[in-house]
Amino acid sequence: MSTTRLPVLKGTLDLLVLRALSWTPMHGFEIVSWLERAASSALDLDDSALYQAVYRLEARGLLEAEWGVTENNRRARYYKLTAAGRTYLRNETKNWMQYAETVTTILTAAKDGQPSTSPAT
Amino acid sequence: MIRGGIQRAFKLALRRRDRWQEDVEEEIKLHLTLRAEQLMAQGSPPNDAYSEAVRRFGPLTESRARMIDAARYREQRMQRTEYLGQLKQDLSFAWRTLGRQKAWAAITVFTLALGIGATTAVFSVVSNLILHAISYPHADRVVLIQQQPSQGNNTGLRVAITPQTRAVIGWRDRAHSFETMEPFRSMGLLLKTNDDPLPIRATEILPSFTDFTGTKPIVGRLFSKDEIANKSPVALLSEGIWQERYGSNRAIVGTSITIGDTSYTVIGVLPADLKLPGAGRDRTDIWLPLNLKNMNMGLSVVGRLRPGVTIPAATRELDKIAADVEAESKSTSQFVSLIKRPSELIDFRDSLMLLTGAVALVLLVACANVAHLLMARAASRERELAVRAALGAGQSRLFRQLLTESLVLAFAGAVGGIFLGWLGLKAIVALRPPQMVELNAVHLDGTTLGVAIVVGALSGVLFGVIGAFQAARRSPQDALKAGALSTSGARGHGRLRSLLVVSEMALSATLIIGATLLVRTVINLQRANLGFEPSHLYWVPVTLPEKAYKTPASRAAFYDELAARLKTTPHVRELAFVQVPPGSRSFSVGNFEIQGEGGSSQNSGTSFTDVNAIDEHYLKTMGIPIVEGTFFTDTSQAANQVIVNAAFAHSHWGPGGAIGKRVRVQYKGGPDVTWQTIVGVAADAQTTGAGIVSTAPYLYSPLGTPDTRATIMIRTDAPVDLAPTVRTLVKSIDRTIVPPKVESVEAYVARTVAKPRFTMALLTSFTLLGLLLAAVGLYGVMAYSVAQRTREIGIRIALGATQQTIANSVVRSGVVLALAGAGIGLGAAFYGTRLISKLLYGVAPLDLASFATGAIVLVATAVVACVVPTRRALAVDPIRAIRAD
Repeated sequence: MSTTRLPVLKGTLDLLVLRALSWTPMHGFEIVSWLERAASSALDLDDSALYQAVYRLEARGLLEAEWGVTENNRRARYYKLTAAGRTYLRNETKNWMQYAETVTTILTAAKDGQPSTSPAT
Repeated sequence: MIRGGIQRAFKLALRRRDRWQEDVEEEIKLHLTLRAEQLMAQGSPPNDAYSEAVRRFGPLTESRARMIDAARYREQRMQRTEYLGQLKQDLSFAWRTLGRQKAWAAITVFTLALGIGATTAVFSVVSNLILHAISYPHADRVVLIQQQPSQGNNTGLRVAITPQTRAVIGWRDRAHSFETMEPFRSMGLLLKTNDDPLPIRATEILPSFTDFTGTKPIVGRLFSKDEIANKSPVALLSEGIWQERYGSNRAIVGTSITIGDTSYTVIGVLPADLKLPGAGRDRTDIWLPLNLKNMNMGLSVVGRLRPGVTIPAATRELDKIAADVEAESKSTSQFVSLIKRPSELIDFRDSLMLLTGAVALVLLVACANVAHLLMARAASRERELAVRAALGAGQSRLFRQLLTESLVLAFAGAVGGIFLGWLGLKAIVALRPPQMVELNAVHLDGTTLGVAIVVGALSGVLFGVIGAFQAARRSPQDALKAGALSTSGARGHGRLRSLLVVSEMALSATLIIGATLLVRTVINLQRANLGFEPSHLYWVPVTLPEKAYKTPASRAAFYDELAARLKTTPHVRELAFVQVPPGSRSFSVGNFEIQGEGGSSQNSGTSFTDVNAIDEHYLKTMGIPIVEGTFFTDTSQAANQVIVNAAFAHSHWGPGGAIGKRVRVQYKGGPDVTWQTIVGVAADAQTTGAGIVSTAPYLYSPLGTPDTRATIMIRTDAPVDLAPTVRTLVKSIDRTIVPPKVESVEAYVARTVAKPRFTMALLTSFTLLGLLLAAVGLYGVMAYSVAQRTREIGIRIALGATQQTIANSVVRSGVVLALAGAGIGLGAAFYGTRLISKLLYGVAPLDLASFATGAIVLVATAVVACVVPTRRALAVDPIRAIRAD
């Protein structure tokens, strides 16, 4: 387990949730657990923030929900991606990659602006 | 069991109210449980595990509130989507059901569109011309102030006297009834140009006039007080003439123009929307300063009443002030004020009101038609509705579907109505008589359109719903029972629908009678004996420059020369000079007195008396015979001979009694007027248009040398265009004279009939429209009742009823409805036609023939409307009718 916990950048949480749901519908706690597993617990995030993100996405029509039953026979709300959600995830992932790449390029650039292999000070 | 049931009911209600809240709570609870279980699986003690789960969840209260908000928003969104989905379903369902009965839907939509369209077209005219006759600020309090003789106006024309400056100044200084009062004076002048002088209309105003009308110069400035006091020759152009003659050049300000003999400096341009009150006035080309120092001129006056002041109160105050003003200058006022709203001066007002009434009746007929079309449909769908109700469609859902259907129809009707209204208005404007310039500016009125659509839609929806309710009231079992439809029918419907048809018939009967009266009026006007011969008769109004033709000798020289040359022109047969041309009237103001008959009660006030001055050729040129006595034997001033009209002479003295009697028009307080001796009685001539006959006196006196304004009457032996000849002749005698126009008396007489004919054409169209709609309505009711009675008819045929009997029974029931309608309609017309008596000529408002026409046309239409239903009844096959359910 890592000791440093990274704060989640604004707007990226939505993307993470959509990614979590891109394979199979999940209920809230499953999404949380999946994120913790995927990030190796490196995210500094209240569980409630995740629920707010889920609700927001549902209100925007990117997710839809249905009551179902868990393995242990508990009633739970299962979320799945809508077609709009899937398109959104695809586009935003591309944007995020480009953005991250650009930021990385700049942060690692030498003084003359040429890409450098050594990290910037 | 019972407890469980109650609990479930309670829970259901609760869930419905706070479903999203419950969901949120449940979700949080599950999350905390699962997290705690996870922690315990990792080895935490149960107590610590749960508090750790809560800690990791974060701010619980705040999060919960946010989640509830998001959930509520989501819920509303879903409801909206669901609602739109249902609406879409309802709409497409309505579309499909209507599509299945295309003819029915088309008739309904067309009926609505006709009603809405006709109403919109006519009300747009009313709204434009009457309701918004003037665009000044606070137009509802703007009035025109004129005067009339103390005995009132006996001319049958809209004649009024423009108040004298003296009275206007008194009113402006002293009247409390008015916020402001603006005098103005409009006149025709000549603008000097490089070519011929251009006749223009100039209006003198005070600088405050533009404030009053809410306008500002678009270029330059207004007159200053000094300029008015010093009588500076300054002028403002109107936007119209500025564009047409000066190419909208701003540099015109500061230059000078010559109007008449005076040179004016242009100081600005006033916008085109600055219009004088009183519709139909020619536009003003040049605005000049008004100088109130000249005390002896008549002024037009427009004013704005103070809020709450009534016209009678204002009239009393103005009369009191006018009397005071006259008393101060040791005189007495002969006139009383006449305060009118601008809309009252619309020439076409009476006709418009009639058409408005007519079109409102058409709208009513259309609404009644739509009503029973919808009700007939609802009745015929009873079974369908019952089936659907039996299959589990909720009342509210059925209701909503019927409502949607009605709304779809109403919407289609409204769209059609807008189109027909636009078309109708274009037609009205295209068909307008040429002299009705006001109609040119009329456009489709939004408010009117809105009201018409609402009325049409309401009637559609209302009756659609009534029909639906009546259908829904019957229990599904009843409606589904075999044969129920064909025997019982809904009595209530039938009666209500018959009532609607009777009212349609009544409205139509009233319309037919009104239209017939107007048709007869127009025929009478066209056939009227004018008392003179208008064919190949022309008049030429000549205006000479004042300065150059000051002396009678110079005028006589010009007129003699012109007459001599005209007489030698080809086709010219006769030629005469007259003061008042056809189409105009001139009045002497005062008390008409007959020597030796001074005691009569009417001889105490002021009124208008028609006067004209004629030369020795006039009566012959016009074709007006002298019926008694002679023409003037002595045209000298001293002889004071006069010729009077036959209608007056015969009504006052009887045949042969007028000659030698002496009359005069004496202005009270004025110098004594010499008595005039009647030497002849001329036949009545309706020179101001057919239909204007009066037993009031008309005095012809001898015309000496005409004024600088004269009229030449010319009779030719064939229709010819005299204008080029006259133009050349006048220019060859004196180049400075504006070439006169040549007017055709025949065309003028035709124009006087144009307005009644226009009214008649419109009223007849609306009548036909109303009649058509009523016929469709009657047809609908008859067709429905035959369908309802199929079984009964079948039985009767089986029992040996002849075709004649069956046909009689169908037609009889239709004619009974028509007769009931005709009875009511005739009754309404009995009271209604007197309202239009002013528009009639040669036919009485209670004209028997017109009333009979109304009844006959209506019953004939009813019989025609019954033809198809009757044939359907005759074609009933008794075996199938009895066997079918």
